[in-house]
Amino acid sequence: MELVTQNEKNVMITPPKKSLSPWALARKKFVKNKMAMISSIFLLIVAVISFLAPYITTADITRINIGEMALEPSNKHWFGTDKAGRDVFTRLLYGGRISLLVGMSCTLFVILLGTFIGAVAGYFGGAVDSLLMRFTDFILNFPFLVFVIVLNAILFGKVSGLWVLIGVISFLSWGGIARIVRSKILAEKENEYITAAIAIGCSPAKIIVKHLLPNVLSTIIVQATITFATMIVVESGLSYLGFGVPQEIPSWGNMLNSANEPDVLQFKLWIWVPPALIITITILSINFIGEGLKDAFNPKSRR
Amino acid sequence: MLKYAFRRLLGMIPMLLLTSIVVFTLAKLMPGDSLTGEIDPRNTNPKYIQEMRDKLGYNDPMPKQYFRWISNFSEGEFGKSTRFKIPVSEVIGERLPNTLLLGFASILITYMLAFFMGLYSGRKPYTLGDNLIGGLNYIGLSVPAFIAGVFAIFLFSFKLDWFPSNGSVAIGLTDGTFEWWMSRLHHVFLPAVVLGLLATASYTQFLRNDIIENSRKDYVRTARAKGTPEKKIYNVHILRNSIIPLITFLGFDIVAIISGAIITETIFTYPGLGQLFLQSVSTRDYPVLMTLTMMFSFLTLVGNLIADILYGVVDPRIRLD
Repeated sequence: MELVTQNEKNVMITPPKKSLSPWALARKKFVKNKMAMISSIFLLIVAVISFLAPYITTADITRINIGEMALEPSNKHWFGTDKAGRDVFTRLLYGGRISLLVGMSCTLFVILLGTFIGAVAGYFGGAVDSLLMRFTDFILNFPFLVFVIVLNAILFGKVSGLWVLIGVISFLSWGGIARIVRSKILAEKENEYITAAIAIGCSPAKIIVKHLLPNVLSTIIVQATITFATMIVVESGLSYLGFGVPQEIPSWGNMLNSANEPDVLQFKLWIWVPPALIITITILSINFIGEGLKDAFNPKSRR
Repeated sequence: MLKYAFRRLLGMIPMLLLTSIVVFTLAKLMPGDSLTGEIDPRNTNPKYIQEMRDKLGYNDPMPKQYFRWISNFSEGEFGKSTRFKIPVSEVIGERLPNTLLLGFASILITYMLAFFMGLYSGRKPYTLGDNLIGGLNYIGLSVPAFIAGVFAIFLFSFKLDWFPSNGSVAIGLTDGTFEWWMSRLHHVFLPAVVLGLLATASYTQFLRNDIIENSRKDYVRTARAKGTPEKKIYNVHILRNSIIPLITFLGFDIVAIISGAIITETIFTYPGLGQLFLQSVSTRDYPVLMTLTMMFSFLTLVGNLIADILYGVVDPRIRLD
């Protein structure tokens, strides 16, 4: 007997080659996607230098400088100065902070609210589902831009301007996410492991968070990317119209607002082209990342 | 189908009532009220102001005020604009044709461009032309409308001087003449293209992918085996199947045009409803603001309804109930 065991121990046990987990597979696919990787790096750089703006530049953009109004780009002012004598490059960095902050906060709130409502409606079904979904329909049937502008006009001045905007935008845009999450949860909860989890006495909260959400997470991540791009467009569009971020705070949309003056639009390109370009490139790169993620999470796409 | 449409139409009524309550509450929450527009501005006697408030019903309890507003509203009496001092229906009536023209022009341009680009890309996928169109679409999807508008004015109005940068018609032309119509079309073209940019890009991409998908199906193989010319396969057999789903987007177009018009009309200072809406917010012209908000909400409801119904019409497999 002992000899046999000895023999077995001497045999080199080669572990079977472990296949990659779905997440590792997705990561591998994403890293291979050139456009998505370039976009990620670009976005990261924009975010980092925007949030480090106070350490990178020393120019004062809070004060109007009459001596340096609307200067052309030079060594001192890389992108020139605007009509109030403020350095465009510095404002671009500070503006990026606000625009990205608004975009990220709105995305976070929209995803949290949409996922919560969608998951609860989808899991419980019945009366809870129809009540929540009627409410979602109601929100979705509002013309978004109209109500954002009206609500913002009401709340403006009562609470700090930036958070009003974030709250209003988030409150009016979670409907789409809730619908998508609900339909995914509806399909997922029919699986047997959910029945098993119920049978062993898991609480609904635990089933939703531990068992259901991880399986719809890939959809949520892709949706979050799309939402992020949309939110940046919404913020800058509203600010451009003069109904978004308060005028005194620099944001990419507020900077573009000066393009409304024919003189600036026609002859002072350095004031409005940088924010216009940075918004477009940021949206473009977020879209590329979104496409890359969608592709990476799709088990049918093989590259 | 008819039954479904009818039931959905009935379902719109409580939706509209709820929306009207929201709109009314919001208007009441906004700072100030339209009183200042109704009274004699030179008379600052507090007693006179108080009397006028009572007379005009601003001191009634909220539900009473709401019911007065909604019953007037449903009879088509929208009140008087505090800014223009004329009935709201006249203010809106004046701007409505402009926005309608903008919307129609935008839809027409969108579908025409999407049709030809999608057809070409779908027929010759992965060629230089297709990649070019694909790249353009990607830009169209990523450039926000207001940035596209600003660039369009800079390039086509200021640098090339092809299109006017503002207004809806040239000054000094008589209504209804040929020149007048040409001038209007000239003014509407650029805003309409900008308004339809996003839709054009997504519809082109949709049509392309649908044509490619259809071209791999059995009926196409059968047609090829019979010796049908390639041109006929694409322009008749496939096109018929691919063009139909595109129609379902019409409902969403209505919804998109409403918010699009607010942005586009402001950029191009085009005197339409979107511009009027923004002006009514900043000048606190509540009667106009409330009427427009109700109107936009109604149109959004109708747009979503049309989209849902068209889905069922186009694809009978979708059960509507």
